[in-house]
Amino acid sequence: MKYETVIGLEVHVELATKSKIFCSCSAHSFGTEPNMHVCPACCGMPGMLPVVNKRVVDFGMKAGMMLNCHINRVTTFDKKSYYYPDLPAAYQTTQWFAPVAVNGLVEIETSKGKKNVRIKQIHMEEDAGKLVHDIREDTTHVDFNRTSVPLIEIVSQPDLSSAEDVEVYLERLKMLLRYAKVAECEMSHGTMRCDVNLSVRPEGSDKLGVRTEMKNMNSIEAIKRAIEYETARHIDAIENGTEVLVQETRRWDDIKGKSYAMRSKETAGDYRYFPDPNVMPVVIDDQWYETVQESLPEFPEVKKEKYVGYGLSDYDAEQITKSIALCECFEAAYAVCGNAKDAANWMISEIMSILNARKMTYDMLDINGKALGELILLVSSGKVGRANGKKILAEMFEDSSIEPEAYAKANGLIVSNDTSLIEQKVAEAIAADPRAVNDYKNGKEKAIMSIFGRCMKELKGNCDPQVLKTILIEKINSL
Amino acid sequence: MERDTLRRLELLNQLKLTEQQKEDFLCFFDKRMEDFSAIDRIFDTSDVERMVHVMPIMTVVREDEVVKKFDREALQQGAPETDEGYWCVPRVVE
Amino acid sequence: MKIITAKIDCSADKRIAADDMILTSDMPTAAGSRMLDGYMSLFSAEAVTRLADAGYNVAMKADVGEFSVDLIGETSYNGTPAVNGVLVNPACEAVKSGDAVAAISLDVNGAIRRGAAHAGLVCIKPTYGTVSRYGTIPAACSGECVSVTAGSAETVSEVLSVIAGHDDKDGTSLPAEKCEAAAKINAPVKRIGIVKALCEGADEDVQAKLDGFTAKAKAAGIEVIELDGSGLVAARSAWNVLMSAEVCNNVSRYDGVKYGYRAEKFTNLDELYTNSRTEAFGEVIKSVILYGSETLSTDNYMKVYDKSLRVRRIICEIFESFFEDIDALLIPAVSKMAYTEEDVRADKYMAFTENIYTAPASITGLPAVVAGGVQLVGPALSDAALLDAVKRIG
Repeated sequence: MKYETVIGLEVHVELATKSKIFCSCSAHSFGTEPNMHVCPACCGMPGMLPVVNKRVVDFGMKAGMMLNCHINRVTTFDKKSYYYPDLPAAYQTTQWFAPVAVNGLVEIETSKGKKNVRIKQIHMEEDAGKLVHDIREDTTHVDFNRTSVPLIEIVSQPDLSSAEDVEVYLERLKMLLRYAKVAECEMSHGTMRCDVNLSVRPEGSDKLGVRTEMKNMNSIEAIKRAIEYETARHIDAIENGTEVLVQETRRWDDIKGKSYAMRSKETAGDYRYFPDPNVMPVVIDDQWYETVQESLPEFPEVKKEKYVGYGLSDYDAEQITKSIALCECFEAAYAVCGNAKDAANWMISEIMSILNARKMTYDMLDINGKALGELILLVSSGKVGRANGKKILAEMFEDSSIEPEAYAKANGLIVSNDTSLIEQKVAEAIAADPRAVNDYKNGKEKAIMSIFGRCMKELKGNCDPQVLKTILIEKINSL
Repeated sequence: MERDTLRRLELLNQLKLTEQQKEDFLCFFDKRMEDFSAIDRIFDTSDVERMVHVMPIMTVVREDEVVKKFDREALQQGAPETDEGYWCVPRVVE
Repeated sequence: MKIITAKIDCSADKRIAADDMILTSDMPTAAGSRMLDGYMSLFSAEAVTRLADAGYNVAMKADVGEFSVDLIGETSYNGTPAVNGVLVNPACEAVKSGDAVAAISLDVNGAIRRGAAHAGLVCIKPTYGTVSRYGTIPAACSGECVSVTAGSAETVSEVLSVIAGHDDKDGTSLPAEKCEAAAKINAPVKRIGIVKALCEGADEDVQAKLDGFTAKAKAAGIEVIELDGSGLVAARSAWNVLMSAEVCNNVSRYDGVKYGYRAEKFTNLDELYTNSRTEAFGEVIKSVILYGSETLSTDNYMKVYDKSLRVRRIICEIFESFFEDIDALLIPAVSKMAYTEEDVRADKYMAFTENIYTAPASITGLPAVVAGGVQLVGPALSDAALLDAVKRIG
């Protein structure tokens, strides 16, 4: 029999705010010493009251709008109770009754074509702390730096049916949320985490099979492996009766390549949600709604189409729209230099290669697009040699405040039109390498390149290559 | 209330009651529920909208700014057990 | 037993007692619970800070019943405060004895109002949101308020004017203009209503207090009319649900990990939690935790918890309709003019029936003033008008 896999995802995304959701502690917990970003509120001490960080609501709305959700104009917070050492107040403030965004839609495109993934809801909530198990054998160490860092949880409908679907969907979420600048979405940093709800049923059946939830996948690759393993386990259980499937939470062990049922308490899942009396409803008025709406970026597809309209190839437009930072840099550069193809070439052959070589994500690009445009103009107008232009760009990576023209002037990188200087350097170069001259005269045209290179080096690149070549050939021929 | 429900409630709330306390609680619980059921004789609440907050105001929101007012040492002063800047609990098996 | 759990500088002027639900950075705050024995907060309540800034000296802490959900203070881990077998509220005792000119308390379930009625003091539970709850031990957050108790309505007004006002640190704090409105007498009390159904459980002594108050009110030119408001008795059962559920949730943070009491014996995390909580919490609070937890269970959420939220709205609407005709409602604060140790031995959960008088103002957030052993409940933001009425009635 043929089977189909039915998958729904719960994706947790850490919002890129400066401070925590309900207190003013720093929200940047990655790589800091334990319990440095904590206060009485986020370590569970009594007396402090939650005060909502406005930007968290902004970002929650933005995420909702990017995923085509309906925004609840009155959104409320609720308490979810359970005991665990990473939850200092023994309750998590989350959204149960009126989440910020509901009923969304994300379009994905896989090898099997386009498909829609419905979003059930997006809710805002606080993260839990971190437990460290490897300091002492008998003890778990508790770090509350991450406690109360703002998260959104994006809950999809069970509209995904393969590891590929999941991968494409997650990449799409990542791209849209990064475009909106609400989150980093980096699984290796824990700023994007994903629980997979999976069941298997005979193809064409409309009855859902037993659903299991899998946690603890730390990369998209691990998620794909987990889905493949779990699908096989379910099919095996259905076909061969190897085990009885039960609705449960399972932990993925990526090293062993297996999922294990998590030991759960008898009372697990009994969260006793109720509205938080200390957080009044957040009312999103028209002005607030519109301000957020106006701050939304164009979708990647819209940008791509626009760039193709500027004359870029489909491929080039696709490359640049991989990241909003690239888009912004490109657009600003194009606005200054007025040549989209030139700007795209610099983006792709220079900037993206530098980022790749430095193992930086495209979102980490910190180049002033306007300055890039000026640099492109300097090079295309022949004021600065191309090689020197690249040098200036490299400097701009180190110091984003560099103004290309001023920098070129200050560092002697402006092309000189002084032909007497060029002639002098050519004469010196010819005198220094008679063999190359001979070779050239004997028909080896390439031999001239070493002399050309020597001249260019002597001139510090500040010379129009065409002018240099003409003078060089004239000089040799006249010998 | 069934004894089983009470046992579950104790687990859920990390409490252990003595036999006498259990009896007292069950009696307290029955009285509260009886008291509560009287509401139905007074009002029909089915069409009433719930009221969580008594004052009809919007929440006070704050700007996204970092303020550090408390240091770790002070926060952990009254802690039963700490180590290397962490709070400590018996090892949790995941 | 203890009346005062901690004190500093008792020779200073303008001394204020804060009850032990109110955090102070210079004195321990235990909330009447072994769980928080010796707990030092890193910050003081907003009310405490404002008093200090205004030249008052919050010089002592008065004991409270465990998380202040009880009748008058009898469930404190320090023992039941009583004088000659009669229960007393420690914050009221501090005022009555002259140790403090006034007391600030967290009114969770009316203990301070009952104490003030017995002690013959004036006490206001202000309109919800007019006094910041920043720095109070959370118990029943949807209805609890920082209250002021003193020997006269004048002193209560004075102290209240210092602590009331908008506070950005409390998300439920009312906007400044509303807080200012509560401090002004917008409509002086001219007509008082009285609901028979709410007076029935009160004994002769209380009845005499009500009659005396009514007579003096009339003498002061205030009209007193009778109203039918039997529905108000439902406030108690609904408040008991909301309060218990919120208390259950709020005290779940006390688990022996971050601060406070930790059991000596445990072999794993589960035992650490359970033993710490079992050993440190008293019996009444344990029952409240379990009851509150059950009202939020899947089976009971709609039937009990959500219904209580709906009752809250109905009670608010009943008051609203009252306040079209009257300026304040006169009700008892207590069923009798003294509770004895024997009373709470016979029924340790007496607070959950006796709060029939205090629950209407707690569940609605309406201001309530206790004076002359009785209680006036007014419309939202009528705080100053209620205190003014009490002054006029004398």
